[in-house]
Amino acid sequence: MKKQIIPFAIPGLSLLLMLLLTSFALANEKSFLDTIKKTVKPFDARSVKKVRPVTRKTVLALEEYRGGSFRVLARKQEIKRYKCSNCHGEKPVLVKQGFELTHGNVIINHGRAGNELSCIDCHSEDDRDFLEDKKGRKIDFDHSYKLCGQCHFRQKRDWLGGAHGKRVSNWAGERVIYNCASCHNPHSPRFSKRFPATYSVPLN
Amino acid sequence: MNAVPHKNLKSFLTDAVRWNLRGGIAFQIFRIFLLFGMGFGIYAYSFQARFGLSVTGMNDIVSWGLYISNFTFLVGVAAAAVMLILPAYMFHDPGFHRVVIIGEGVAVGALVMCLSFIAVDLGGPLQAWHLIPGIGLFNFPSSILAWDVLVLNGYLLLNGLVPAYILYSHYMGRKADERKYRPFVFLSIFWAFSIHMVTAFLYQGLPARPFWNNPLMGPRFLASAFAAGPALIALILAIIHSTTDYKIDRKVFRKLRLIITISAIVNLIMLFSEIFKEFYFPTHHSSSAVYLFFGMDGHNSLVPWIWTSVIINLLATLVIAFNPGKDNPKVLLPACGFLFIAVWMEKGIGLIVPGLIPSPLGEVVDYLPTWVELGVTLGILCLGITVVTWLIRTALIIEQRYEGAD
Amino acid sequence: MSSPKKNEKQTVIQDVLEKPSSRRSFLKGASIAMAAGSAALATGCMATGDTTTSEEMKLRWQEYFKKHYRLMTAEEKKETVKRLERLAKIQNDLDVQIGTDPPIENVLYGYAFNISRCEGFMECVAACVKENNLDRKTNTQYIRIFEMEPGKLDPSTGDGQFYHKVPVENKFYMGVQCFHCENAPCIKACPTKATWREPDGIVVVDYNWCIGCRYCQAACPYFGRRFNWSQGEVPKEELTTKQHYLGNRRRPKGKMEKCTFCIQRTRKGRLPACVEACPTGSRVFGNLLDPESEIRFVLEHKKVFRMKENIGTEPKFWYFID
Repeated sequence: MKKQIIPFAIPGLSLLLMLLLTSFALANEKSFLDTIKKTVKPFDARSVKKVRPVTRKTVLALEEYRGGSFRVLARKQEIKRYKCSNCHGEKPVLVKQGFELTHGNVIINHGRAGNELSCIDCHSEDDRDFLEDKKGRKIDFDHSYKLCGQCHFRQKRDWLGGAHGKRVSNWAGERVIYNCASCHNPHSPRFSKRFPATYSVPLN
Repeated sequence: MNAVPHKNLKSFLTDAVRWNLRGGIAFQIFRIFLLFGMGFGIYAYSFQARFGLSVTGMNDIVSWGLYISNFTFLVGVAAAAVMLILPAYMFHDPGFHRVVIIGEGVAVGALVMCLSFIAVDLGGPLQAWHLIPGIGLFNFPSSILAWDVLVLNGYLLLNGLVPAYILYSHYMGRKADERKYRPFVFLSIFWAFSIHMVTAFLYQGLPARPFWNNPLMGPRFLASAFAAGPALIALILAIIHSTTDYKIDRKVFRKLRLIITISAIVNLIMLFSEIFKEFYFPTHHSSSAVYLFFGMDGHNSLVPWIWTSVIINLLATLVIAFNPGKDNPKVLLPACGFLFIAVWMEKGIGLIVPGLIPSPLGEVVDYLPTWVELGVTLGILCLGITVVTWLIRTALIIEQRYEGAD
Repeated sequence: MSSPKKNEKQTVIQDVLEKPSSRRSFLKGASIAMAAGSAALATGCMATGDTTTSEEMKLRWQEYFKKHYRLMTAEEKKETVKRLERLAKIQNDLDVQIGTDPPIENVLYGYAFNISRCEGFMECVAACVKENNLDRKTNTQYIRIFEMEPGKLDPSTGDGQFYHKVPVENKFYMGVQCFHCENAPCIKACPTKATWREPDGIVVVDYNWCIGCRYCQAACPYFGRRFNWSQGEVPKEELTTKQHYLGNRRRPKGKMEKCTFCIQRTRKGRLPACVEACPTGSRVFGNLLDPESEIRFVLEHKKVFRMKENIGTEPKFWYFID
């Protein structure tokens, strides 16, 4: 009688043993998010060795990032005909079809349809080397975020924090981020439609 | 027929080889066919070795194909030997005691095939030394594949050594000491269940694959294996019965039929339970089953495959259960054969491939093995059959002489 | 019977692994035929046809018996890197620099993806292929971008193979890659510990230790892993030569590979190639252990979600919406 129990007991026991052992392997770890939440001490990102400094021209931002300074990509050297005051002096420019000749490439597609922005909504009328906000404050081209942020204040908040836009080259080292106009064409800020850079191969 | 004057381990081995090289014309042709098959397998594998697994039909979505399918099924065949070992050694069934050695031979052959299928499926088979404990790094007990490596090799060892010891004792003309091998027999029974459960856990433990992540998989593996394995063994016993003078009691066949019937019915019940779960309220976890049974996005290469399998399975189970030919072997044996094929279709390709389709990101592709995979598979099957015939032939000659001497 | 043989083999292995000088003498002693055979074996090549120098055979032999990366001493790491660089020179006439930069202390990488910003330009995919020397023959890609119907969030409902002008009105785009799960199923599955999570959170593969069983690929719920079905091919002029042992170096055929958050860049403080290439700023990368990092800002100020959170893999990759 006893002998007949054994063959069934053995596989049963063995399975139990297996389950026990696998459950060892399954031992649950606590979420890493708890560890993350607990770390409040800032990480010294400048201490990371081998960080190559950003080679592109940058300027110190006029805003604060989480209580510290940061840099943005400079804009002025990217503008081909800067300085504007070379042409736009004291007197108005009176060249025939001057706008079409020098700024013909500018197509304004900014603002709600039917209510597009005009040049002087952003450019300073008195001093063409600067931008100007609604309160009449002059804004340097390198700090255009001050101007864009008037309307796009949500984007600006995200941009300051890091949820909009992005850093240049490095995640470590000094914080250098893209300026608004580094990615967006200020006259037509939407990205235009185009073909993707590559494609995924058909999988079959 | 006379006893060799000095019998020892060396003469045991040389005799085994000698006996196997002899045989009638038909047997020799059979051997040559097997050799040819193995040669073709090696030829096909040489392409894989040179160009990588890109010569197979597998890809990043269907990353396991014919090899792993066959491996999975054959683990079941190997485990099924326990259906002879249990009655033979535990219940001392005299009929089974005479055939258990054949079951163990089949298990060894199946295991050799299993390990070969794993080996040819590896991208870096030469790095397999990384699995050797001590020299390599073994991810134990975390990786179920590590468990599988362990249990398969252990089972091979057990199923090789116990019969080898008994045969060697009989060869030397003495009774095998039951006290010596009995613990290992117990162990091998435990082990037989483990190899198939662990192989099921290999798939069952993957949350990424809802089709496999199913608690019924392990038990269903066992049920299908205990139907298909004994069906194969019944066929082999019938061949031995009719081609050699090692006669097998009809009672053995009757008991095997009983085992096959019960297992096949349990298997079908579980199959219907699975199908109910997948299709009563289809969730996105049912997509693999939908692909398998009905096709998806215009891809339906497995639909005829699985329905063929299910229909053959049903018919064969009915025939074996209701026995319309009144124990006529001409009815029962083909039924066994068909049952074996049906389970192979379902527990091989029908289980592994749809588990990987659609991909975790929803892509549906079809899988078709290439000639290289088919060739390598043929080679491994020929290798397995060769191993089985060598072992069984040696065993039968020794057993017959031992019985005659009694 | 087998134990002395095994011991002998073990000592040979140890010799090769531990003592460069004795290794040299051992190899001098070994017959050329044996070395040739084993070198052919070690690389899985059936006689490459070209003349293999004895130096190359020696290097291959030593590479074959080297240890798991995590068990190597600094000295051994230096040696294997030297061998790999030399082999690249001999075999393909390539000058590569393979780094072994360790993880930076107090750094845990995290990634966020803005599904309302991505426009499907796939610059990230192109940059990833270039940076990581992905196989051009089979077009291996680590990143997949899905064009999604509004009202759905499961990429399996999206189109992963679009090629038309983007962005399409009323569609959004969702990128998927390796999520570097904290509780990664692939790590658990690997039978040889050839894939693991580094202290900085990056899930890496030791390409030389992997045996190519593809169990990790079956275990990954995100389709994050790729297999080298054949030897990868990269045009010489497009090769990224600044490499990392666990990153974009040459992968032998039959081995698993995956996104490493560009380990060769990130461990030097740089952004992964996909983040740097993204023209829309949809990709945010940074140190989760730095409360002042951009990634932490996203986690704290945006509504985020992770893919298939229900299976408990704890990905370090979040999706967010503006």
